[in-house]
Amino acid sequence: MRRISVLSAALALVAAGAAACSSSAGHSSSGTPGSAAFDPKTCQGGTLEVLNQGSISKLDPARIYTSGGGNIPSLLFRTLTTRNRQPGQDGAKAAPDLATDLGTPSDNAQTWTYHLKDNVFFEDGTPITSADVKYGIERSFAPELPGGAPYLRDWLVDAANYQGPYKDPAGIAAIETPDAKTIIFHLRKPEGDFPLLATATQFAPVPKAKDTGVGYEKHPVSSGPYMVASFDKGKTLDLVRNPHWSSASDPLRYACPDKINVTAGLDAAVINQRIATGTGQDANAVSTDTTIGPDQLAQLNSNPALAKRVARGEFPATTYIAFNPKVKPFDDIRVREAISYAVNRTTAVNAAGGTAVAGASTTFLPPQKALGYQPYDFFPAGATGDPAKAKELLAQAGYPNGLTITLTHQADDANNFGPKLATSVQDALKAAGITVNLNPIDDNSYTDVTGKPSTEPGASLQYWGADWPSGAPFLIPIFDGRQIVTSGGNFNLAQLNDPSVNAEIDAINAITDPAQAQARWGALDAKLGQQALTVPLFYEKDVYLFGKNVKDAVPDGWRGQYDLARVSVK
Amino acid sequence: MTTTIEAAGAAAGSGPPAPPSASATRTRGALWRRLRKDKAAATGMAIITVMVLVAVFAPVLTALEGQNTTSLHPELVDSASGGTPLGSLGGVSGSHWLGVEPQTGRDLFARLVYGARISLGVALGATALQVLIGVSVGIAAGLGGRGVDAVLSRLTDLALAFPQVLFAVALMAIVPDSVPRPLILAVVIALLGWGGTARLARGQALSLRTRDFVAAAKLSGAPPLRVARREILPGLVTPVLTYASLLVPTNMVAEAGLSFLGVGVRPPTPSWGQMLSAGTTWFRPDVMYVVVPGGALFLTLLAFTLLADGVRRTLDPRNTEVAP
Repeated sequence: MRRISVLSAALALVAAGAAACSSSAGHSSSGTPGSAAFDPKTCQGGTLEVLNQGSISKLDPARIYTSGGGNIPSLLFRTLTTRNRQPGQDGAKAAPDLATDLGTPSDNAQTWTYHLKDNVFFEDGTPITSADVKYGIERSFAPELPGGAPYLRDWLVDAANYQGPYKDPAGIAAIETPDAKTIIFHLRKPEGDFPLLATATQFAPVPKAKDTGVGYEKHPVSSGPYMVASFDKGKTLDLVRNPHWSSASDPLRYACPDKINVTAGLDAAVINQRIATGTGQDANAVSTDTTIGPDQLAQLNSNPALAKRVARGEFPATTYIAFNPKVKPFDDIRVREAISYAVNRTTAVNAAGGTAVAGASTTFLPPQKALGYQPYDFFPAGATGDPAKAKELLAQAGYPNGLTITLTHQADDANNFGPKLATSVQDALKAAGITVNLNPIDDNSYTDVTGKPSTEPGASLQYWGADWPSGAPFLIPIFDGRQIVTSGGNFNLAQLNDPSVNAEIDAINAITDPAQAQARWGALDAKLGQQALTVPLFYEKDVYLFGKNVKDAVPDGWRGQYDLARVSVK
Repeated sequence: MTTTIEAAGAAAGSGPPAPPSASATRTRGALWRRLRKDKAAATGMAIITVMVLVAVFAPVLTALEGQNTTSLHPELVDSASGGTPLGSLGGVSGSHWLGVEPQTGRDLFARLVYGARISLGVALGATALQVLIGVSVGIAAGLGGRGVDAVLSRLTDLALAFPQVLFAVALMAIVPDSVPRPLILAVVIALLGWGGTARLARGQALSLRTRDFVAAAKLSGAPPLRVARREILPGLVTPVLTYASLLVPTNMVAEAGLSFLGVGVRPPTPSWGQMLSAGTTWFRPDVMYVVVPGGALFLTLLAFTLLADGVRRTLDPRNTEVAP
C-alpha cells in the first residue's frame, strides 16, 4: 500500500516513470498524429530509443513496483491480466494477458480462478505453466527480493509471514495449481479488485529452473514480446525480439520496433531537448519518466510541429496537505476548515508547473471515473482562496488574532511538493492571518518522518498515486484505520480509525462490479472530505514529448503515458 | 576555489616583505588617496558602494517599488505555458521594475535586492572570519617553535587540500535548521577557506621575525603576544588586505555555488545563487530570470576584482607610477 509516485517509480525501476491515467477522451486523443492511418500489422521495424532520468536499478519482476505492470517491464513480462492499453476510460480496465479471462470469482470474491492460454512460451521456447506463475509470486515474498507491492502478503490466506521459496520450498498453500493451466487464489477477505492487482509484475511467470535468486535480474526470462540483449544496471538496457512470443495470444501488445534501447540517468532538460530537436536517432526517442519542461511548454503555441508531438494523459494522483489531528491546533476541525478555505489553488497549480501539468482539485480522489470520482467542494476557496471565511472560522476556534503553524515539505521540488508548493501555501495562509513556518525534510527520509505516527508532523505536503485505477488503492491506505502502521511506513496520516469507514471499505471490497464499487468509493470520499482531514490541492496531468518518427504514441487510460508496447518508429 | 586562493596567495606573497610598522601606517593613510586615482579601482569601489547601499536599504527600495519578496502574483504569469511571466522582458513594468519570477510571479527586483544581503553579507562575513583564523594561525606558526610550526603548517595544508565544495555540501546538509542559514554559510565557507591566508601570514611572519626591530622588541623583554600584535601584525596589513579583497569574490561564488546546489539559504529567503539555480530551466522561455541575478553577481564580482587589483597595485612598493 505504498504510493507509486513519479519518483518512486522512476527510481525503483526502468518501469513506471511518471505515469498517468487519462480521464477525458478529448485529452487523450489530442496527441495522436496519424493514428487513423496506424496499422499494427504493418508497424514492425526500426529501433526505439528510450531516454530516461531514473536509473534502471531493478529488473527482477519480483522487485519492481509498478502500476499496471509498468511500461518497460511490460515489454518483458506477461502477467495473468494486464492493463487494457486503450486511451480514456477503456484503458482504466484490466484485460486478460496470460489468462483467458479476468478471473472467476467465487466464495464472495475470496477465491479467484484463472486458466492460462494455450501456446504461451518463455523466450527459450518452454511452455508457460501455472506453476511458473505461482513460483513467480512466491519469489516476491522472499526477503532477498524486496520492493514489490505489499498487497498479496495482506490478501492471501496465511501468507503474511511466508519467507519465499528459497527458505520455504513448500510454497504458499493459498495458491493452488491443480493442473498446468489452472491457478486458484484463496484470499482471506473479499477483494473485487483482484484482476487489477494481477497486472503487477509479481504475477509474471518465472521458470524455477532458471531462477538464480538475486542474480536473476541480469537476464530475467522473458515471456513478453522482447527479451534482454544486454543490461548494464543503472545505465542501459537493450531489448530485442523474443522469437517465441506471438501476437496471436497477445493482441494488446503491438511490438512494433525490432529493438528498444533504454538509456538511463539523463537530465530532464536534456531529455526534453533531445526529443524536441530529434537529431539522428533522437527522432525515434521517447521517455517514460520525463514530462515536458517549461522550455518546451512555452514553445508549444509558436511551434505547431512540436505541439503535434505531445501526448497528454492523466495518471490518477493527488497532491494535498495532510493533517495530523493528534497535534494541536489541527485537532480542531475549524482550524482544518479554515486552512481549506484559505489555500490558493491557482498558485499551487503554478508551483507544480501550471495548468498544462496540474489541475486544481477539491476532492481527494482525482477526477477519474474509474476511481469513483464524485465532485464536491465543502470548503469553497474559489480559485485564489477565501481568507475572510478562514479568519471567521479561526475566530470561532479561539484564534481571533491568527495563529502560527509549521508546514513540513520535501526539501526538493522534484516531486512537486517541495519549497515551491510550500511557499504558495505559506503566502495564501498569510492572507488569512496564519503564519506558516516551513520545515523542509530531505526527499529520501521524508516518508520515514511523516510515516511514523510518533514523529509525524501536524501538517505536511503529500502525494498519492493509484497503484491501479480504482478507489481502493487510493482511499484504503489513507483512511482505513486498520492500515495505521505505528512502526513506520504509515500513510493514514490522519490516523483515522472510524469503524463505519472501515466497515464501508470492507463492503466495497466485496463488490466485483466496478460500476457499483465506483459509486460507493466516490460517496465514501465525499463523506471523508467533510472532515477536512486533508486539503486536496491539485491532481496530476502528464504531458510527454515524443520523437519525430514515433507513431501511435497514445497515452493509455491507466498510466496516462504512451505505451512502449504499442508505439512504432517505422 | 582552491586555485583562486593559491594564485592570489602567490601573487600577494610574491613581493618583498612589507615595510615595518611606521611605514605601514603611512601606507594605510595614503591608500585611499592612491586608490581614487586608480580608475579601475575607483570604478570597483563605486559599484561595491552601490551594492552595499542596495543591500542595506533593501526594505526602503522594495517599499519604494511597492513590492515584497514573498507575495505570489499568479495573475502575472501564463499558467498554461508552465508559468512564464506575461509581458516583455520577463514581465518588466512600472510596478515590477525587473519583472517577476516564473511560476510564482514574485517580484524579481525585491528578491534581487534582498538577495544582495545574503550574497554580500555571507561573503564579507566569511572573509572576516577567514582573515581572523588565517592570520592567527599564520602568525602562531611563524613565531612559534619548530613543533608548533610543523603542526599548524600541516593543518594549513590540510585545509588547503580539502575538497571544499564537497565538504561544504555535506556539512550544510547535516546542520539543523534552527541555526540561521546565512550565519552557518559564512562559518562553513570560512572554515574551509582560511588556509591561503594562514600560509601568507606565516611567510610574512617568518621573514619579519629576523628583522632588527623585532629582535629589539624581544630583547627589551616584550612577551610573544605583544611582539605578534605590535611588531608583526602591522607588517601583515598590506598583503592580507590585498589577499582579502580577492577572497571576497571567491567567497561570493562559494555562497552562490552552495545556494545553487540547494544547500544554501532556505526558501522563501532569496539569494542570487538560488535564483541562478532556479533559472537554469528557464533560460530560453524567460532569459531575464537568469540575466538579472547573473548580471548582479557578475557586476559585484567584477567590482571586487577591480578593487583588489587596485589595492595590490597601489600597495606594491615596486609600483612607482602611483607611489607619491
